[in-house]
Amino acid sequence: MASKISSREVVIVSGIRTPMGKMGGCFDGMHAVDLGMHALRELLARSPLTRDDIDSVIVGNVIQPSEATNISRVISLQAGIPRRVPAHTVHRNCASGMQAVTDAAEKILAGRADVVVAGGVESMTHAPLLFHDRFRAAMAKLQRARSVQQRAKAVLGVVKAPWKPRVALMEGLTDPVANLNMGQTAEILAREFSISRKAQDEFSLQSHQRAAKSWQDEWFNDEVMHLFAPPRFTPVHRDEGVRSEQSMEALARLRPAFEKPLGTVTAGNSSQITDGAAMLLLSHREKAESEGWPILGYLHDWAYTGCDPARMGLGPVFASNTLLSRYGLSAGDMARVEINEAFAAQVLACLKAMDSKQFSVKQFGGKSAIGAPDMETLNVHGGAIAMGHPVGMTGARMVLTTLRQLKHDTGGGLGLATLCIGGGQGGAVLLGSEPWKS
Amino acid sequence: MEVVTLIREGSVARLNFSRSDKPVNVLDEFCMEQLEAHLELLEKDSPEVLILESGLPGCFIAGADLTLIQSVKDSEVATRLAERGQAVCRRIELLSTVSIAVVDGACMGGGLELAMGCDYIVAVHGKKTSIGLPEIKIGIHPGFGGCVRLPKRIGWPKAIEMIMTGRPVDAKRAKRIGLVQLTCYPEQVEGAINHFAGRGKADRKKVNPWWFHLWPIRKFFFYKVREKALARFKHLDIEEAYPSVPGAIDLLEDIFGMSDGLAYEREAESLGKFAVTPTCKNLIRVFFLGESLKKQEMVKKGKPAARELQRTSVYGAGAMGSGIAWVATRSGEVDIHDLSEDALGHGLRNLSQLAKRNPERFQKIRPAVGNSGLASADVVIEAVLENIDIKKQLWAGIESEVRKDTLLLTNTSSLSVSDQQADLKHPGRLAGLHFFNPAPKMPLVEVVAGSKSTKKSVQTVAALAAGWGKYPVIVSDTPGFLVNRCLMPFMSAALRLLESGQKLEHIDGALKNFGMPMGAIELADRVGLDICHHVGAHLSESFGARMGMPAWFDQMVEDGLLGIKSGEGFYLYEDEKRKGINESLSNYLVGQKSTEREFDANLSADQGQVMTDEEVVNRALVPMLIEALTCLSEGVVDSAEHLDAAMVYGIGFPPFRGGLLNHFSGYEEQKLKDIITSLGMDVPENLEVLYE
Repeated sequence: MASKISSREVVIVSGIRTPMGKMGGCFDGMHAVDLGMHALRELLARSPLTRDDIDSVIVGNVIQPSEATNISRVISLQAGIPRRVPAHTVHRNCASGMQAVTDAAEKILAGRADVVVAGGVESMTHAPLLFHDRFRAAMAKLQRARSVQQRAKAVLGVVKAPWKPRVALMEGLTDPVANLNMGQTAEILAREFSISRKAQDEFSLQSHQRAAKSWQDEWFNDEVMHLFAPPRFTPVHRDEGVRSEQSMEALARLRPAFEKPLGTVTAGNSSQITDGAAMLLLSHREKAESEGWPILGYLHDWAYTGCDPARMGLGPVFASNTLLSRYGLSAGDMARVEINEAFAAQVLACLKAMDSKQFSVKQFGGKSAIGAPDMETLNVHGGAIAMGHPVGMTGARMVLTTLRQLKHDTGGGLGLATLCIGGGQGGAVLLGSEPWKS
Repeated sequence: MEVVTLIREGSVARLNFSRSDKPVNVLDEFCMEQLEAHLELLEKDSPEVLILESGLPGCFIAGADLTLIQSVKDSEVATRLAERGQAVCRRIELLSTVSIAVVDGACMGGGLELAMGCDYIVAVHGKKTSIGLPEIKIGIHPGFGGCVRLPKRIGWPKAIEMIMTGRPVDAKRAKRIGLVQLTCYPEQVEGAINHFAGRGKADRKKVNPWWFHLWPIRKFFFYKVREKALARFKHLDIEEAYPSVPGAIDLLEDIFGMSDGLAYEREAESLGKFAVTPTCKNLIRVFFLGESLKKQEMVKKGKPAARELQRTSVYGAGAMGSGIAWVATRSGEVDIHDLSEDALGHGLRNLSQLAKRNPERFQKIRPAVGNSGLASADVVIEAVLENIDIKKQLWAGIESEVRKDTLLLTNTSSLSVSDQQADLKHPGRLAGLHFFNPAPKMPLVEVVAGSKSTKKSVQTVAALAAGWGKYPVIVSDTPGFLVNRCLMPFMSAALRLLESGQKLEHIDGALKNFGMPMGAIELADRVGLDICHHVGAHLSESFGARMGMPAWFDQMVEDGLLGIKSGEGFYLYEDEKRKGINESLSNYLVGQKSTEREFDANLSADQGQVMTDEEVVNRALVPMLIEALTCLSEGVVDSAEHLDAAMVYGIGFPPFRGGLLNHFSGYEEQKLKDIITSLGMDVPENLEVLYE
């Protein structure tokens, strides 16, 4: 429990995110740095703090563009944060955004900082194309070549080297240890937990319907800022991927994306590849109260766990269990739960695992199922299938959206935000809208 | 007073230019005399190395003495002056010494020509290091040998460009084009000198592009240069308006291939000719007018406070708001607010061209839907709808969010600044800052003090505007302020000429020929007939019928002929380009003869007769003159100098005529009075201002 480590209670003062744009879509003209810079500037403009109050900036980012090394620092300077404020970038695959938030919390709890900006950014559109390593080696030889003979030989070497580009995006979504891409791990879970194509499509339809309704009801209006994307600067507010007219028929028409022809995971029941940024301001309760800052909510605790990379989709089960069992809590005690919708099959598999006594016995030595969240408290405003999963951003976005639900929807209570992590990990954060009552 | 000192240190001699009476070094009489004396000593006892340097920070030598050039009346005398300058440069060139010019700061005109007499030029990196030949901007051309030496150093094509545009280059670019041989940082100057000291005299043979030596291609090249240079002045008689433009091109074309001696002679003679033209005098006058605005007392006093203002919030993302936001990025970050996201998108799109050229500046702009970020604003500028209730409501809302010392500025063109102060808690910090469209391009801004504006606020605003590169004119809070108020009678008179039967092309053509940037009627289209009507109505409430638009004009507005914005007005427009005259005009003008006009009696006499260009111009400009003089006597603006500066920089009165008041002062007093009375107007009491 937070108060066992330190007397401080971590609070989130405020948060903002950009809309999520589809790959090659409305944010095609913006890079990850731009998305992060705009989000950070907006966060500061809407918060009562000044730039001088900030002690540190931590940003999660997966693709890490080579032209913006330590993207957190680049974003921080471009957003006008004073030079003396240090900044660094973190990476835990799909949980990079969450990692930034929990690292910020850790700093605050350890007394190393009072105010930290934590967020996540990703531009999957701008994931680069790379040359094969043999091509790089051939070019390096060419650069070293001195005599005419050496140069001729080296040029020939370059011509003979493989020219076909590597797609960094695809490589990034493939686990090198298990030798499976993320979609394939979801297929494994779909088979092992008997999750039908139909069930996956139904869940996806629900995600779209919930997201569309929430946008229509203006629930996201304060969470999401307006972006004006070059070159036309048309205003963007709504998440680009949400389809209010999504239907089972449309979903059924799609072919399996990762295992043809017998697979069940399609583009329609997977998270969308998108661009976006989310930024949050963290501090501790004493500081916030003495400065008169508003408090959006409390970050009580968190956990990261490891699991089988081939079944990485079950990460949330392990992480939530580790986290909640510390307090004798279960998913049923949460007023709201967010499980990142990497794939419908994966979320549904998690729910089945959480509801399974056998799973609990085998994995945790438990006596009964650890308990799954109710569909009425889970991803109530839609999820990544409808809105998108910019991999570095999502973790931070989930913390923000869960806190807002506790504040605006449920009138209090506890919230759980958890996601599966490529490479076989899970991350979970325990949130609340009030201070901890032990 | 020593303005150039000769210092000897062993075999090294330095000519140090420095003075205490001016902030910059100029090649005035003092300087030239002393320089010539020092050169005699140097010629008798030549050191191994000669260094030309400046003791004034931020300035090498800023050029020749403008007041001297302005006062020269005889072309022979001007030619002698040029020859004198050429001689000095030549004498440095002929010394057996290795000469090095160390340029740290402004090196313009004669200063560059002097530096080019040296073997080597070293440019020191710095914000103020600016090297160029701006003489074309004051109606002459380089006359101290620059036309001969510059092409030898950087090649003819680049030299022609530098001389004809007058644009300076910084240290980096100067090195790239070969104008300077080395760039260095201030700490490296001694090292740079040593670098060249051992090299010996320079052998400068600039290689021109191969095609420049072929006569037909060169002829075509000069043809293109003329075409480009004269394109800007299509409607003017260029020989009358800016004679040194074609004159400089002719000079440069002649010089190519001439021996040095003849080339210098030709250059000096040409300078003599242009230095005594009225255009030269007037352009120098206009330069001083601009300086009088930029360096006025109020601006100087406001500078320290203005420097602290770094964050600006602009309200209203329309054409004006987005332009103002761009201007404000010069001093720091800018938030641009609008209630409508589409308006914000549109406003940002307006700036796309500027954004492409300068992406770092564009990045400073944050679009905000709503009110966020006001707590850290140092300045708030509003450019929202011209409606007093909307503005008052806006200020009330903003005042509760900003600091009590945050400057609040209104871009209003027709509402009272004092009215906007009425309900504020801290009214002293609200003032008017009126930009002209498009804000990034138009140099003038009107600074308006409301009845409660503190002097400090007004000073700070004026200094802020000057810091943004604008020319601030401080005016009183009266309807139309200064510029619009003087424009209305001008426009109104032109419309009455149209009404009385003069042709549209003739009226606008005569005005453009005179030098106005556009005709009065095209101006109406550009501003928007609805706005002209609105402003006219507003001003005639306070100032009488001379401000108002005729009834048929109002009919055009009612029928939706609004000018550029609606695609048709007096002219027809497609994609904002003029496509011809609107034929339906005859519906409005035929038989429209109001009997309530002041000078109707005179017009009916001229009905049907085509006026001369001069008559048309006087009909339109005399009302402007009278209104301007009235503004002066009413204290709308505090000096005739500032008034004329506003006419040039705000209305676009042709600079080569030196300003509105300057132009009319060319008429003999009685003759002018006769013209005024013949137009049915009253001679203003302060007409003698023109003749002071």
